[in-house]
Amino acid sequence: MTDTEARPTYKYVGTRPIRHDGLDKVTGKARFAADLNMTGQLRAAITRSPHAHARIVSIDTSAAEAMPGVKAVVTGADFPEIDIADAIHDEAVNNIARDEVLYNGHAVAAVAATTLAQARAAAAAVKVEYEELPAILSIDEAIADGAPLANPTTRTLFTGDTEPSNFASIGQFERGDVEAGFAAADVIVEREFTTVPVHQGYIEPHACVADCGQDGKASIWASSQGHFAVRSKTAAILGWSTDRIKVTPAEIGGGFGGKTTIYLEPIAVRLSQKAGRPVKLAMTREEVLRATGPAPASKISLKIGATNDGELTTLAGTMYYSNGSTKGFSALTGAMSVASYKFPNLELHAIGTVDNTPKSAAYRAPSAPQAAFAVETLVDEIAQQLGMDPIELRLRNAVVEGDPTAMGMPHPKIGFIETLEAIKSSDHYNSPVPEGAGRGFATGFWFNIGEQSSATVNLNEDGTATVITGSPDIGGSRASMALMAAEELGLDVHRITPIVADTESVGFTDITEGSRATFATGMAVVNACRELIEKMKERAAVIRGVDVDQVAWIGGAAVIEGPASEGNEPLTIADITAQAKMTGGPLTATASLNAAGAGPSFAAHLADVKVDEETGQVTILRYTTAQDAGTAIHPAYVEGQMQGGSAQGIGWALNEEYIFDASGEMENASFLDYRMPVASDLPMIETIIVEVPNPSHPYGVRGVGETGIVPPIPTLANAIAAATGVRMTDLPMSPPNVLKKINEK
Amino acid sequence: MAIVHLQADHRRFTGGEEVLEVDGATIGAVIAELERRFPGLGPRLTEGASVAIDGELLPRGSIYEKVGPTTDIHFIAPITGG
Amino acid sequence: MISRTHVHCTVNGDEVDFLADDATSLLDALRDELGLTGAKEGCATGDCGACSILVDGAVNCACLMFAAEAEGHEITTVEGIADGDHLHPLQQVFLEEAALQCGICTPGVLVSAKALLDHNPNPTEAEIRYALAGNLCRCTGYDKIIHAVQEAAVQLNGASK
Ligand code: FES
Ligand code: FES
Repeated sequence: MTDTEARPTYKYVGTRPIRHDGLDKVTGKARFAADLNMTGQLRAAITRSPHAHARIVSIDTSAAEAMPGVKAVVTGADFPEIDIADAIHDEAVNNIARDEVLYNGHAVAAVAATTLAQARAAAAAVKVEYEELPAILSIDEAIADGAPLANPTTRTLFTGDTEPSNFASIGQFERGDVEAGFAAADVIVEREFTTVPVHQGYIEPHACVADCGQDGKASIWASSQGHFAVRSKTAAILGWSTDRIKVTPAEIGGGFGGKTTIYLEPIAVRLSQKAGRPVKLAMTREEVLRATGPAPASKISLKIGATNDGELTTLAGTMYYSNGSTKGFSALTGAMSVASYKFPNLELHAIGTVDNTPKSAAYRAPSAPQAAFAVETLVDEIAQQLGMDPIELRLRNAVVEGDPTAMGMPHPKIGFIETLEAIKSSDHYNSPVPEGAGRGFATGFWFNIGEQSSATVNLNEDGTATVITGSPDIGGSRASMALMAAEELGLDVHRITPIVADTESVGFTDITEGSRATFATGMAVVNACRELIEKMKERAAVIRGVDVDQVAWIGGAAVIEGPASEGNEPLTIADITAQAKMTGGPLTATASLNAAGAGPSFAAHLADVKVDEETGQVTILRYTTAQDAGTAIHPAYVEGQMQGGSAQGIGWALNEEYIFDASGEMENASFLDYRMPVASDLPMIETIIVEVPNPSHPYGVRGVGETGIVPPIPTLANAIAAATGVRMTDLPMSPPNVLKKINEK
Repeated sequence: MAIVHLQADHRRFTGGEEVLEVDGATIGAVIAELERRFPGLGPRLTEGASVAIDGELLPRGSIYEKVGPTTDIHFIAPITGG
Repeated sequence: MISRTHVHCTVNGDEVDFLADDATSLLDALRDELGLTGAKEGCATGDCGACSILVDGAVNCACLMFAAEAEGHEITTVEGIADGDHLHPLQQVFLEEAALQCGICTPGVLVSAKALLDHNPNPTEAEIRYALAGNLCRCTGYDKIIHAVQEAAVQLNGASK
């Protein structure tokens, strides 16, 4: 671990305690959504479209309704019409189709029955008459002249256009003079890159239980990245007021962005309402692959110019990103993520498309890996052509505070240089490349976001504390919340119980996304703790009969200062809570905020690979990642995020892909055929945590969840180039694709 | 008054102008003024943009955020996360 | 009416009886009939290992077995790995080494790792990686899982000396 900047010494922050929810998770006790069962519960199943694009002529549910055990059937007609200008429109239609099915796997009806087998049999018996429409299955088909519309409700975002279009968004970013830049460049490299859709691949399929009462209120237990969003989206899709729905977060078995959208909850609520019984609705893996996720396909043509002494002067290109079946702004985000080098001249066109593949969803640093594949490959080629060390070239051009991102906004305080230096001084970088292998290097960046969070901290009678937040714990965030509270209060981290509360027990909190939980929710926890400290100082003043300004909070206790200090021992939290009743009642504090100032995080990855020139198989021999965490609250989970992000990026780079047949049906909708990395595919992933604190957070936190997935694709592409001399420009870099390139050499 | 930086998309409303001095005490007021001067631009900035002031990314919807005469405002494409 | 078979077996040391129809997987029987939700369904096709259980000490995917096949066998799920309130060293080390993030794969990984260490107390890194190759984890990149299994092996060997 590299400390690149002196930071205050903390007692709890930066330690590695056992996480509070860990015991339940190693003993099988933790309850994920599919583990929950209610008395009288029904099971539900969904009827899905076998066509990529079709008009729904009619739906006949009578046969299904007559089947054994069936208690309720719903179709799109059971949900209110939603105006296409409404923000919830696309998600509502994605939950259950109305007039048209927009991709193979799109939900059209759902059944609740006594057993799952009965529900599935009845779902298969729902008769849907379709009129097939032409299906758009790729970016090229979407943008072709005279292409049919993939989705008649799509308008190009942010343009004010009112005509339907296959263009989801169109954006442009410019600075300097690109023509002059290329004219003055000594080296110019240019290529086209393509990537295919990949899935987030969380191991837990989407699941929920809904129980709708006679009073017209519903309780939902769901696995999601944000249960407040589940509540508001479900309410909007049902046309209900928010107060009719309570959502309790179950444990979540991975999300990575894919559980920021909802698929099941409105359907489960409607089924429960119709049947008058609780309903459990869980997807199969096949449904997860056919109807949720994926990260967008992309097609990026890019050109970079540099001078002989290694100044990257000019970048220009066009980036197409598919959004799947609805509008979205993935292309804009992709172009904006081009933010690592100064490039005085830049022109990027970002074009989002719509097609008849599943509606795309966020996936860790959404859109950035595809863009980094292009940028970092070309930067590597420039280093190669100039005979420069790839890290040196990047150090020469790396952005620092005040330098512009692609959209012109200046970077806040960032640690890119420090991250590059960390790799440069790593053991890996300073070890020789193994015989016959190739070494690749690349970097990545992500903004991170703030947004709204709430926290309540209760001090208990015995001086222990409960920290209540509304951020689902995806990978150890409860422990981080407890650590920050421990640091503030000066209370042992295991005397603090961090919990994630339901939508009626804690203030509104946005989705856990954009690496925001530790940053923004952590800030709310810190603010609540600070308020509690002020309250405890007041109580201590009462107990000691002194003025509150004579009380200081030091080392987890109220210390009386000045003339009154004599004979007055410090009062610990337990001392104060023991007398809470006599000094004004329970000690509790709540803080809510809308956080600004999220800190961007940079990562740099280094890989040694061997390529079998007979089979095209790529084997990773060694892999190292360095990333700026700002401050690592719980370093073990920071490392875990870095390693997990790397592994997902490696899977994206080498193996993962959606394979559609000519009709738009996914041909590999199983974990057997959608091949994610397994333990034997990977080496150890060495981590170097860089800490350049974020000045906008009380402990300097930057989000760490996202950036790790950005560098692996170009890192491996560059390593393959070093090993074989071929530049891979199309994903995945699977054995047949690599072999093909080698044979073309 | 604040200094507003527009990205290329939005410059079609301003006749290509990228950096503008705009009156207004809050982000919302600045957007309203931009809409008055360049009809059609306002909605683009409210629905389809994230805002950064002096390099700090604001949470979405921060229309009441105060701005001063030397505040740099960047309207950029919307940012989400995963 | 679907006919149901009476199944008698041992689960985590307890003798149990339940009824299962012919199509019910052992995973569904464990989760829905016996209330043991430790084993998870990640795929139901034998490809993710989230449902890993021990059948007479050998790792199996519970989703690939019919419930009726449990007849007469000894089944161990993650709920049966600890000795009362005394965690198995694997469980303890997984906690200490942060070898889980979301925790959905953890029950299956622990079961597979236990089977490995029961049969091979001194596995190499490669042996651990191959023994766990049937257990998908999407969160950790496996690193901390492998380290934790190595550490648990050391502790188990120390304890048995
Ligand atoms: S659920 Fe059995 S292997 Fe995936
Ligand atoms: S810890 Fe989440 S899948 Fe392994």
